[in-house]
Amino acid sequence: MPDMLLEVEGLIAGHGDAVVLEDVSFTLARGQAMALLGRNGMGKTTLLATLMGLTRVHGGAMRFAGRDLSAMPTHRRALAGLGWVPQEREIFPSLTVEENLTAVAVGGRWTLDRVWTMFPRLKERRANMGGQLSGGEQQMLAIARALMLDPVLLLLDEPMEGLAPLIVQELFRIIRRMTETGDLAVILVEQHAHQILPLTDRALVLERGRAVYSGDSRTLIDDPQRLDGWLGVTGGGPRGGTTAARVARGEA
Amino acid sequence: MKAIDIIRDEHRALAAVLRAMEFTVAGVRAGRFAPDFRLFAMLVDYIVRVPEESHHPKEDEVLFPLVRAACPEVEPILDELEAQHQAGEAHIQELGMALIHWQAVGDPGFERFAEVVGRYLSFEWAHIELEESRLLPLLEARLAPAARAAVDAAFAANADPWRGRDGEFDTLFSAIVAATPAPMGLGGPAGRG
Repeated sequence: MPDMLLEVEGLIAGHGDAVVLEDVSFTLARGQAMALLGRNGMGKTTLLATLMGLTRVHGGAMRFAGRDLSAMPTHRRALAGLGWVPQEREIFPSLTVEENLTAVAVGGRWTLDRVWTMFPRLKERRANMGGQLSGGEQQMLAIARALMLDPVLLLLDEPMEGLAPLIVQELFRIIRRMTETGDLAVILVEQHAHQILPLTDRALVLERGRAVYSGDSRTLIDDPQRLDGWLGVTGGGPRGGTTAARVARGEA
Repeated sequence: MKAIDIIRDEHRALAAVLRAMEFTVAGVRAGRFAPDFRLFAMLVDYIVRVPEESHHPKEDEVLFPLVRAACPEVEPILDELEAQHQAGEAHIQELGMALIHWQAVGDPGFERFAEVVGRYLSFEWAHIELEESRLLPLLEARLAPAARAAVDAAFAANADPWRGRDGEFDTLFSAIVAATPAPMGLGGPAGRG
């Protein structure tokens, strides 16, 4: 029996009175990686925001490391080990790279040295202001800063959005190395389902706010028709995904 | 099939490097970047060492014979892919020589290098496209379970060839990302990064 880190059962949540998530249930064990999939507007970001306490919960239960998450204020969730990298990145533009990191450090397993090892580029840029970084560097800094809060579960909301294929590949390598440490669970929202499923243990597919699949990633990889039915992926490649050549050249 | 995931993963990494090459050559031609020979040498090195020394031999030695036995009707596609693998060596040699020539003679050598890069990219894009759109879909559809398991085992034995035996390819890839000018990579213009 795996050590369950996150247990979500019958979750109903949304923004104000508007319900976005309906009856969503899933579990995630310590150290596992989960792909959170679905077309745009299906509730993926709302689910992450709900885990961070930024939406209104109408029903259901969320337990994190055995504690009731619903009753925990947002700042406490961060201190309890929930790390969040939002799409907007939200780094401090007028602080240096190093200051962005040390400003939030809590003295846990992720030290500056460990972060520099994971992101050597940030070490090179340590004296540069956050606002001087390229989009890819800012995304790295956003992930690194979340790690400095020593999370046991990291929520990544479309970290590859808008980045060039070369940087996307580099970030996938970094995320793979992070998940291989075994001491960090990850929930990863990403449009490129065929690319992240092999990196993850589990998958959750949302359709109109409801979970239509919650299980192991391998099953979805081996059933591309079902996956493509939910995600509407089209193209000439195998498994419904478009070819690597077309993706790299911006034709997909 | 895990082998399909691995092949596509390898293609994505290679495609990203090819795109970086395309972008950087275009930038030099347009005067946006100064020639960064260290970056071009790393790009060529990656193309020479990773697909040619790891990816293609695995396909030639393991994948293609099994597919040939299971799906005789795709002989023409396999013949074409194998011919492309063989032709790849000549393309890469030409690429390396053109880079050395450019470095030796300076600006007059750029157009020849750019032309060779253009030919190589067209060739490699077509190769990836053919393999992914025509060959890979057949693997799951036509290979018997035993053949599929054999292919998976062969590819899993070399689970992440892009890392290299001691992580050297990973290091090379990260160095390329760091040196390629933004927004394609993380480097500054004119070799600043």
